[in-house]
Amino acid sequence: MQALFAAFGLNGSLILAQAVNFGVVLIALTYFLYKPITKVLEARQQKVAKGIEDANLAAEKLATADGIASEKLTVAETEAEGIVVSARETASAEKARIIKEAEARAVLVASDADARAKEATAKMQRESEKDIARIAILAAEKILRQA
Amino acid sequence: MDKGIHVELKASVLGHVLGLPITNSLVMTWVVMVILIAFAFFFGRSLKEIPGKFQAGFEMAITGAFDYIAMTLESEKLAKRFFPLIATIFLFVLVSNELEFFPGVGSIGFFQGGELIPLLRAPTADLNLTLALAFISFFTIEITGIAMLGFFKYAGKYVNLKSPVGFAVGIIELISNLGRLISFSFRLFGNIFAGEVMILVASFFLPYLLPVPLMAFEMFVGLIQAIVFAMLTLFFIKLAIAEPHGSH
Repeated sequence: MQALFAAFGLNGSLILAQAVNFGVVLIALTYFLYKPITKVLEARQQKVAKGIEDANLAAEKLATADGIASEKLTVAETEAEGIVVSARETASAEKARIIKEAEARAVLVASDADARAKEATAKMQRESEKDIARIAILAAEKILRQA
Repeated sequence: MDKGIHVELKASVLGHVLGLPITNSLVMTWVVMVILIAFAFFFGRSLKEIPGKFQAGFEMAITGAFDYIAMTLESEKLAKRFFPLIATIFLFVLVSNELEFFPGVGSIGFFQGGELIPLLRAPTADLNLTLALAFISFFTIEITGIAMLGFFKYAGKYVNLKSPVGFAVGIIELISNLGRLISFSFRLFGNIFAGEVMILVASFFLPYLLPVPLMAFEMFVGLIQAIVFAMLTLFFIKLAIAEPHGSH
């Protein structure tokens, strides 16, 4: 046994030293490598999970927003239609009123013009009658003077 | 002074410090430690939330290994506890194995009595290190078994007095468990040492081209042995925490 140990250079303190060496590497790697990597991986995993959750939430919100938007659009469309209809009604009423008024005024203007024309005719007639009378008087005077 | 191939089964002693023989494989172990700890320190500090290519690759390897351990042990909690040990065994053995092929390892040294004493030797080509790792693995497995099952239940796996067959099986289990110390240490040592010898022999016959494919193959063997050591530790932990046969 002793010869076997010697042949392989086995030495208790060397084995212990190597075991300690490995232990040092194990502790160093655990603190410098495995823990930081695990931390980074876990942090990233949490972030990804949160990102996905946020995305789902955003999609949900978007869907509700879409619903609200289309609802509002429908309401607005009906309202606009109502406004157009009422505007058209008001416009046609106004149109009728304006036409009626215009007609009335036209009638008024026409009758006024008629009256004025008649008056002018009557005035002219009276003046021409006056003229004729004067001419007649002058003619009579002239005839009388000659005679 | 060509004496042919000189193969040293054991690591050479360079000197003594406080009664501890400083061998060339111990020096190399320190190199491996410095490389691993420096890498861990600088890489661990440079971790970013948005990873670069290297970090992404490393993270993928870590996650893959962790998931595999969790799947084997069937528990995230146990996986968290054993992941550092198994990952470190893999990285430590891997770096030790692969450093063997760097120029200077085994070739730079000093002459003592007409013989070259290399300053560096692959740590895994020294039985001291592989045996130390085997002990660590062995004690981890046994202590885990006792901690998870309780001393008497765990001991009941090996000392079974319920039936003669059970007793025989228990004894075989016990011996095979102790045998792991030998199989663990000699498997790794044998593979790496044999690779070294093979390359040495090849370089002796044809120094220029022949060693290249052999080196490539030995690098592959080094990777495989690192995986084997880590995986066997994992599987034996799984076996140790399994309920004894016939108890359920």
